[in-house]
Amino acid sequence: MTHPHVLDQLPLWVEGDLTAPELEAVERHLAACPACREAADQLRQSQAWLREALASPFGAEDRARLRASVMARLAAPPPAPRRFLVPSALLAAAAVLVVAVLTWNRPQGKPAPLPTAGTGPEFTSRATAGATDIPAPAPPLPPRVRLARAAHAQAQLQVRQRPDGTALPRREPARLEFQTADPTIRIIWLAQATPLPDPNPTLEETP
Amino acid sequence: MCPATEAVLMEGELSSLPDAPVSGPDQAIRRLRAGDREAFADLMGLTEARVLALAWRILGDRHLAEDAAQETYLRAFRSLDHFRLGEPFEAWLIRIAVNVCRDLGRKRGQQPVALASLDGLEAGATAPGAEEAVLLDQRRALVRQALATLPQGERVALVLRDLEGLTSEEAARILGLRPATVRSQVASARAKVQAHCARRLAAPKGGRP
Repeated sequence: MTHPHVLDQLPLWVEGDLTAPELEAVERHLAACPACREAADQLRQSQAWLREALASPFGAEDRARLRASVMARLAAPPPAPRRFLVPSALLAAAAVLVVAVLTWNRPQGKPAPLPTAGTGPEFTSRATAGATDIPAPAPPLPPRVRLARAAHAQAQLQVRQRPDGTALPRREPARLEFQTADPTIRIIWLAQATPLPDPNPTLEETP
Repeated sequence: MCPATEAVLMEGELSSLPDAPVSGPDQAIRRLRAGDREAFADLMGLTEARVLALAWRILGDRHLAEDAAQETYLRAFRSLDHFRLGEPFEAWLIRIAVNVCRDLGRKRGQQPVALASLDGLEAGATAPGAEEAVLLDQRRALVRQALATLPQGERVALVLRDLEGLTSEEAARILGLRPATVRSQVASARAKVQAHCARRLAAPKGGRP
């Protein structure tokens, strides 16, 4: 006689959750085992107490109150839609997309050498320094012709609008170049207090 | 039960769930779909006692149960277009109520309250001098205390199976579990409740359960 085996099955036996063969075996065991029979009686009793203790406490008034509350909620106009509410998941996806775009073209192989103390962010003026001052690790970049021409075109417009027509001193703009850690990215800033000189005087300065 | 039978039961609908007369909910739903909003009150009248009791048994708190019942009906109203006439409405509603109770339970924390808020319900039963009523009160408190210590999964399974009268298969479909899992949870819960009561009743005389 193995009591633990039957004791394990009693919680299923007590509410009829055993299969027919299991039920038959347990019943046979209970008929011959007073200890298991006592345990079975205790389980039956606690199940009866369970039902007794959890009889619904709600009465007709509670139900009527619930019904009135729900019907009032249904009769109320629906709340205004919440605009400009972006789910956090969407924000997270947008952040991931931005990071992916920013890092997409970064070289995957050997990292670019960082500028040393002597070759850090460079300020060179074309009047005083040449292109040889560019740090060695950074490869030469093609001239930003399009950017320069855009600046010149703006300067030409200003020249044409001057009433006196006096000649302006030709001065090269200050050129500020930053070489980033990425050798393919260089930041060039042109600055000049006076209008930029005309690159094609034969066409633009002829009256 | 063999696995094949379980699979069939898992795939099936809740057609065998004990339900109110089919004509009642279906008629109310037809009226509702025809534009008679008051028909929803009739629909509630058919089911609200069960929904309230279910929520209270799962959550263990009277006020939370009322909130859960209200949310259950609001969700049911919003989803009523998806309900197919002819299917057991009460089973569909119980599924919604269980989900609402789970949501509320998660917001509150995993453990149900110790049913302390229900103590006032026994005020009439604990009249002075009524020894039997006092014992009944103590016994109820003991069982509710035992229930409050159960994990939520076991508690819900026990409520559906032993208090709502569903079979293990029906409870399994509502909970999205296999019937064998529900049987295991229910057996564990029954054993724990019995052990809790036995421990307290075996305590030295004079101590409260």
